[in-house]
Amino acid sequence: MNEKKNLWSFQLNTASLVLIPAAVGINYIGKLFAGLLKLPLWLDSIGTMLAAFLAGPVVGALSGLINNVIYGLTMDPISFVYALTNVGIGIAVGLLARSGKIRGVKSAILGGVVVALVAVVISTPLNMIFWGGQTGNVWGDAVYAWCVAQGMPALVGSALDEVVVDLPDKIATILIAYGIFRGLPKKLTLLYQSGEKVESLD
Amino acid sequence: MKEISLYEEKDTPIHALDPLTKILYILAAILVPALYGGRTAMAAFIAASIAVLLAGRVLRRTLPILSFSFIVLITVVIIQGLFRAGNTTVAFALGPVVFYREGLSFALGIGLNVVNILLSFSILVLTTRPSDLVEAMVRLGLSPKLGYVLASVFQIIPQMTATMGTITDAQRSRGMETEGSLLVRIKAFLPLIAPVVMNSLITTKERAIALEVRGFDSRREKTFLRERKARGRDKAVNALLAVLIVLALIGRVTIWLT
Repeated sequence: MNEKKNLWSFQLNTASLVLIPAAVGINYIGKLFAGLLKLPLWLDSIGTMLAAFLAGPVVGALSGLINNVIYGLTMDPISFVYALTNVGIGIAVGLLARSGKIRGVKSAILGGVVVALVAVVISTPLNMIFWGGQTGNVWGDAVYAWCVAQGMPALVGSALDEVVVDLPDKIATILIAYGIFRGLPKKLTLLYQSGEKVESLD
Repeated sequence: MKEISLYEEKDTPIHALDPLTKILYILAAILVPALYGGRTAMAAFIAASIAVLLAGRVLRRTLPILSFSFIVLITVVIIQGLFRAGNTTVAFALGPVVFYREGLSFALGIGLNVVNILLSFSILVLTTRPSDLVEAMVRLGLSPKLGYVLASVFQIIPQMTATMGTITDAQRSRGMETEGSLLVRIKAFLPLIAPVVMNSLITTKERAIALEVRGFDSRREKTFLRERKARGRDKAVNALLAVLIVLALIGRVTIWLT
């Protein structure tokens, strides 16, 4: 089978569709546990990344999109805007996983860096439009205030602000998602594999 | 079980409005100031939203929605007021700390925009049952399958929070520490979340089978459980909002032309 086609391929079958609400739920639980344990990270995209690992970039992106739409409709309208970031995260992780770039802990950390960069590139313009460049995270905003006070353009400060917030978070998240993915039984992961030949017994 | 939605059941005319009308209101609240009127229009929409929220008796419930953004907005005012590039006119000084007018004005613009969007969304969020909203979107042409995906999130999350409680108790009773130094808390994360995730993925497989058995993949046209009752009041509000958007568009175009 053609390698390139395989990268984006997906099946929107029932299994993949049902994976999406589970992914949204996992995102929510991750955020809840992070809050419960008072961890200094968000860890709110574990489900999106896991869906991307399992079912590829398209399902990953859909999970990210629906995650933020649901949050927007029920709790925090601003999260609509950041749906784009989560779509980017889903696509990036899905492509990395499908192309076989992530093979172990080291490459997962590298993948986390890539995903964090994708998130920064998408989020920074949104932060500029909505908050004048801030993120609402104490450490990140301190960096932003320092940059602007030094006379750097707000855009640079905003990008650094987002890097400070996203880099540790995305690396930790991808490690957790990868760890869980590796631990899943084959009978679950096979449900979402596409493009492989399925042998039928009848 | 913990619900994720902030919706609250009440019997007011606002609750009875068609969800799509409320979505159209959000569109108007964002588009009209963007096209024509700027900050004055934003302030007008903020006032209108507050009036509607009062009529729906949910104004106090906007606090959890607004509180997080308010903290960020305060830091926006401080950081922009002190450091924004182009700050020249002194507005006021608190000891050695000098606030500038340009930065404060910029922060005011950001604040109005955010509060306007939050309040207009609050009307939809606080007065519409999530499942009604999904149904309205499916009627509008959203694929029923995606509608199912959206609606099932509202069922799955309370289930998962319940599982989460069970797992936390189970791990604690085995002696796992969930409080203490950062390292201890980090170490606790994986043993807590992994069982919840496994559990939900296994349920996912069963759910998929259950759905397919009931004809989820069937290509026949889907029907609705409840009939829609079209009403004059919804149509009147829709028309009013559409007129507002069109007027703002005309205003914008005339500015361009002159």
